[in-house]
Amino acid sequence: MSQTWIISGPPGCGKTSWILNTFKNHSGNCGYVRLGGYSEINLEQAINSTIDFAFLKDQIPNLLDLSSSKLPLKVEKENILIIIEFPQFFIPKFQGISGIDLRVIKELEIYNLQPNKYLHFGRDLELPIKDTLDFKAIESCSIDLKKNIWDPASLNTFWFELVNGAYGDVYRAKALMNLPDGRYILFNWILTQKGSQYQTLNQVAPLNGRPERHSEIVIQGKNLNFQLIKSTINNCLLSDAVLEHHQATLRNSQLQTSRN
Amino acid sequence: MNQAVISCLHANLPAVEAVLKDIELQGITNITCLGDLVGYGPQPNEVIELIKEKKIATCQGCWDEDVVDGLDACDCSYPSQIAERRGHFAHQWTTEKLTKENKDFLANLPYSIRKDECLFVHGSPNSQHEYLLPDMDAFAALERVENAKAEILFCGHTHQPYIRELANGSISVKVKNSGSKDIQKKEMNLPMRRIVNAGSVGEPRHGGTKATYVVYNDITNDVKIREVEYDIELTCKAIINAGLPPIFAWRLKNGFEFAERAEDASHFCER
Repeated sequence: MSQTWIISGPPGCGKTSWILNTFKNHSGNCGYVRLGGYSEINLEQAINSTIDFAFLKDQIPNLLDLSSSKLPLKVEKENILIIIEFPQFFIPKFQGISGIDLRVIKELEIYNLQPNKYLHFGRDLELPIKDTLDFKAIESCSIDLKKNIWDPASLNTFWFELVNGAYGDVYRAKALMNLPDGRYILFNWILTQKGSQYQTLNQVAPLNGRPERHSEIVIQGKNLNFQLIKSTINNCLLSDAVLEHHQATLRNSQLQTSRN
Repeated sequence: MNQAVISCLHANLPAVEAVLKDIELQGITNITCLGDLVGYGPQPNEVIELIKEKKIATCQGCWDEDVVDGLDACDCSYPSQIAERRGHFAHQWTTEKLTKENKDFLANLPYSIRKDECLFVHGSPNSQHEYLLPDMDAFAALERVENAKAEILFCGHTHQPYIRELANGSISVKVKNSGSKDIQKKEMNLPMRRIVNAGSVGEPRHGGTKATYVVYNDITNDVKIREVEYDIELTCKAIINAGLPPIFAWRLKNGFEFAERAEDASHFCER
């Protein structure tokens, strides 16, 4: 039997991690949709980042992306679990599916999806409780980093400065970054949780040029100096010449290892 | 008699003034400065003029050398691309601001100063760019002091103050001459040597925000690390007003300074 669930909650509450575990425990097909959320009074709309999908797809290669298309006809619809992730900063007024924002219902008509379960972090005990911020106002910024590769030491410096307030009061930062050795790393930080979480994803890019895969940083907070963030990031990214130098060194090292 | 050793002033005038005041309050008149009068901070000319006015014996730091030579700090001394770009910006800014007289002053500073059994250098006796970190290999550290023919080596550059005693040092060497079956054994026992790092007045990197320097008593051989509060806000405002990267002010204010150095502690620039 096909199931369609909506999972909502504020930034950093653990939606994506919970969804990943739920998919891993599901024996049938899995489909995923990420909605962007809506503007509220004094509350900027959450950014519809594709970081979460890129992360989930890395962990579950067969995951179906339903954000860009309707469910393919060839997919076995029996026992499919579709989860719609939706950022929402406030607790819904009503319990169960009647608490779903009408704008969400309307948006889901495009995908021909009708949810039969709705869970919200902070309301439903079925979901883990995490200490998240009570968001009253928030600024969001997303920077597309596709084809960009970081100098690893500069990335370390930038991330330290970012989460320690050098560019404004950051509540939440999430990013998928490329490193010159082909690694693809998920960075995750929220003010109320201790330290940053880093996860190296399964995909490894070849040591030749720039990977086409998704790369992005999303920052949410207050009094953020976006211009300074962007210019600092630009100073951390490798030029073609420097990247080729790094990759040539790594290629030679791999060659030596394989000869030995 | 007490003497004060200061280092790495980095154009931070409020910090230098506060430290000199603290030294004066202790009745100390013998002061040695281990260089890096300029770089990163907003008041390079003011700091140089204060050092000149007080007639403080000073040796040349890596920044002093680079600014004079018109060189960007050597790429290999930066830990990251972002640090290098920020460093180059600060270097260019400082070069533009310095008067010709003050550049000449920096150019004529000696690499080292010797006072009896004490040797005063910026980085190490080998180079202004070499870092003698507190956890440096003991043999290498002892070699630096012994080669310099000093009992106490005063250095800066790392911005982290420390006192390191190298006690009961011994070097064993086995030599086999060509054509001979005999192996000669030689053993040298070295007396205790000390490395004293004065930390930094203008850009401390010891995890706090206070300026640091050391006081050495040449009769009792006691060395004390001193920490001095100063008006950081004043320096931070001056950094912003000067058009230097705001991140310099943020790091200073939060005690988040980090050493602009290569990973290898004994890194030696071959430029």
